[in-house]
Amino acid sequence: MNLFTICYLILCLFLGGCHRPDSHGEIRFALSQPPLNLDPRYATDAVSERINHLLYRSLVAFDSHSRPIPDLATWVEDSPTHFRFSLVSDSIRFHDTEVLTSRDVAATYRSILELKDSPHSAEFSNILEIRSLDDRTLDFYLKRPDKDFPSRMVLGVMPAFLITQGHDFAHHPVGCGPLKFVSWQNALVLERLGDQQRFVLQDVKDPTVRVLKLVRGEVDLLQGDLPPEMVAYLKGIKTIQVKEIPGSNFSYMGFNAQDPVLNDVRVRKAVALSIDRQAILRYAMVGGSREAGAILPPEHWAGNADLIAYEYDPVSAKELLREAGVGLPLKLVYKTSTDPQRVRLATIMQSQMQAAGIDLEIRSLDWGTFFNDIKRGDFQLYGLTWVGIRTPEIYRLAFHSEDVPPRGSSRGRYSDPVLDKLIDEEDWQGATRRIHEQLPYVPLWYEGQFVAMRSGLKDFAPRADGNWDSLATIHY
Amino acid sequence: MMIKRIAGEAWVVLGVLVLTFLLLHLVPGDPVEVMLGESATQSDRQALREELGLNRPILEQFGLYITKLAHGNLGYSIHTKQPIADLLASRVPATFQLAALALAIAVAVGLPLGIAAALHAGKWPDTMASFGSLCLSAMPHFMLGPILMLIFALALGWLPVSGMDARGSIILPAVTLGFGLAAILTRMTRASLLEVLNEDYVRTARAKGLPESQVIMRHALRNALLPIVTVIGLQLGSLLAGTVVTETVFSWNGVGSLLVESIEKRDYPVTQACVLVIALVYVTVNTLTDMAYSALDPRVKFLG
Repeated sequence: MNLFTICYLILCLFLGGCHRPDSHGEIRFALSQPPLNLDPRYATDAVSERINHLLYRSLVAFDSHSRPIPDLATWVEDSPTHFRFSLVSDSIRFHDTEVLTSRDVAATYRSILELKDSPHSAEFSNILEIRSLDDRTLDFYLKRPDKDFPSRMVLGVMPAFLITQGHDFAHHPVGCGPLKFVSWQNALVLERLGDQQRFVLQDVKDPTVRVLKLVRGEVDLLQGDLPPEMVAYLKGIKTIQVKEIPGSNFSYMGFNAQDPVLNDVRVRKAVALSIDRQAILRYAMVGGSREAGAILPPEHWAGNADLIAYEYDPVSAKELLREAGVGLPLKLVYKTSTDPQRVRLATIMQSQMQAAGIDLEIRSLDWGTFFNDIKRGDFQLYGLTWVGIRTPEIYRLAFHSEDVPPRGSSRGRYSDPVLDKLIDEEDWQGATRRIHEQLPYVPLWYEGQFVAMRSGLKDFAPRADGNWDSLATIHY
Repeated sequence: MMIKRIAGEAWVVLGVLVLTFLLLHLVPGDPVEVMLGESATQSDRQALREELGLNRPILEQFGLYITKLAHGNLGYSIHTKQPIADLLASRVPATFQLAALALAIAVAVGLPLGIAAALHAGKWPDTMASFGSLCLSAMPHFMLGPILMLIFALALGWLPVSGMDARGSIILPAVTLGFGLAAILTRMTRASLLEVLNEDYVRTARAKGLPESQVIMRHALRNALLPIVTVIGLQLGSLLAGTVVTETVFSWNGVGSLLVESIEKRDYPVTQACVLVIALVYVTVNTLTDMAYSALDPRVKFLG
């Protein structure tokens, strides 16, 4: 029994040594996923992109209407294929204290063009040549005219000499953003320039555990990625403050236009009319969520505020299906990921569609399988969300008949010469109207953004696209 | 004999590697697509596929993988570009630590409860132990974990909810992991001890006037331990499998959570390495269990 006694004693010692969590002045941020890569040339996941936005700065930023505005540099369009960028200051320093010059910008963009395995290389493949004129000025020459070129210049700038040395930016990032890298063991530790406020970014995958940690004070804030009932629970806790704002990330239901039933616009309209978005927004979504009419929200410079949402009307939906000569109930298969909230929303839509004579079968697949099926066109209906979209180029990528995967993201294989022409002419108002009429997607909603944090924290406002730029200002 | 046994175990590990390799390459989802995204051109995809060796026939890929493995080269993570050996070195100790404490908790809880149940068979301690073990063995880790968090972290405030850095953070994941095995051990110990308590040598020991504690510990329990040790050995495999869920729930950065992350990202080399580690531990523990068996009962020889 001695062994047992020792085990019990060890347990008692552990228990006795435990006490309430202490933050030591750090602000602890719970993440639903760990960042995968802090090298902006490689990062594609939302968490890495959001952290990189704090670690690095780019030539261009965006205003509240998603118009490009100067960040590190101003620009002039000398010709449709020639843009000149000038750094706004000659005293911007990297975190390792080196001064940022145009040579660093040139080295950053040259390196991405040379990398074979960067997911961002294709975005910059139109660059023909980069010339650094002096410490503050550099020219970009393009292969083809691109008037939206400045909007693409959002890659974090890295020090040229570290790029040359093959520095491991993925795990030891060096940028010139408001936060600098400190360490990355079990958690990622960052420090704010100026007041040395430290941030500990912890990966806590389970949403229930994230909430429990916030309530107990083991973390100080979390943003997004919680089901609505947990947000409601947090709102009822005195020591927690919850802030909600309208979001801009667009959720939609996609159709396979090559499906013999779904290539009829009347059937697509019937599906749109069979979803009660208002009820879903009221009962199953976080605050700040709102109905969507197009990929870009109305406040975007290329947004269209005149689009009228499809109201829930199962009677008209059934009528449209009969007009289309479809036998009722119409059996359709809807593919989604295994995310519990996505499955729940799919189940609600399945129930609503029954009234319109649509028998929706839900297939919930792991992310790799699901996304692979979508790209291969192996689906009838699917649900996805566009996150952090800035430019109307998305309409070309998502709906132009030349942009079917693997070339683009026209996953529904939709082909409409009228829409192609509107997109080619960059008539975004016309294109959004046409998309709204023809419904290659059923626009669902822009998911609201929220932050939940300990009551002592101030000056953190959630952003519409879910970025974490407010870490630059938050304080106790 | 030992060499023959090790050779047999090597075949088991090789079989696991073949199966893992084939299954990973059969499931939908392409690491190149995950890495490059949708905007990449066909030529970019092809170039990366060539660089990663994914354009080669599957048998050739497997041959290359085994050759590298034979030279101790586990390769690099497709996503983080880190050497997999480094990734494992940072994760394996955490998993071993968790599994070891879970095993200790299982033994510390399961054996006394099983003994108490057997000694009071048909009475309330037996009923309580049997009911408790039934509940625990029926409760999945993802359910037991949050319940323990609610009680010990939120309500009582004794332990941290999750993570690795705070003091005592290992206890809740270890208890979650260990309670399932404790339930099995309780029932096994009870059954095994009840059987032994009816043996003649136990009756003889009692007739000799030995104190009851000596009768139980020296004569009955030692003989009852044989099947229990086997169960512990066999269950260690499930304990390691259980870390996959427990580590994810408790944000414990071990091999289990690394395995889940690598599967989500289609990081084939990392997934294969994690499965290799788990398979190696499993066969090693099985061999050690057989050796312990012969140590406990000299009539049983370790024949390999």
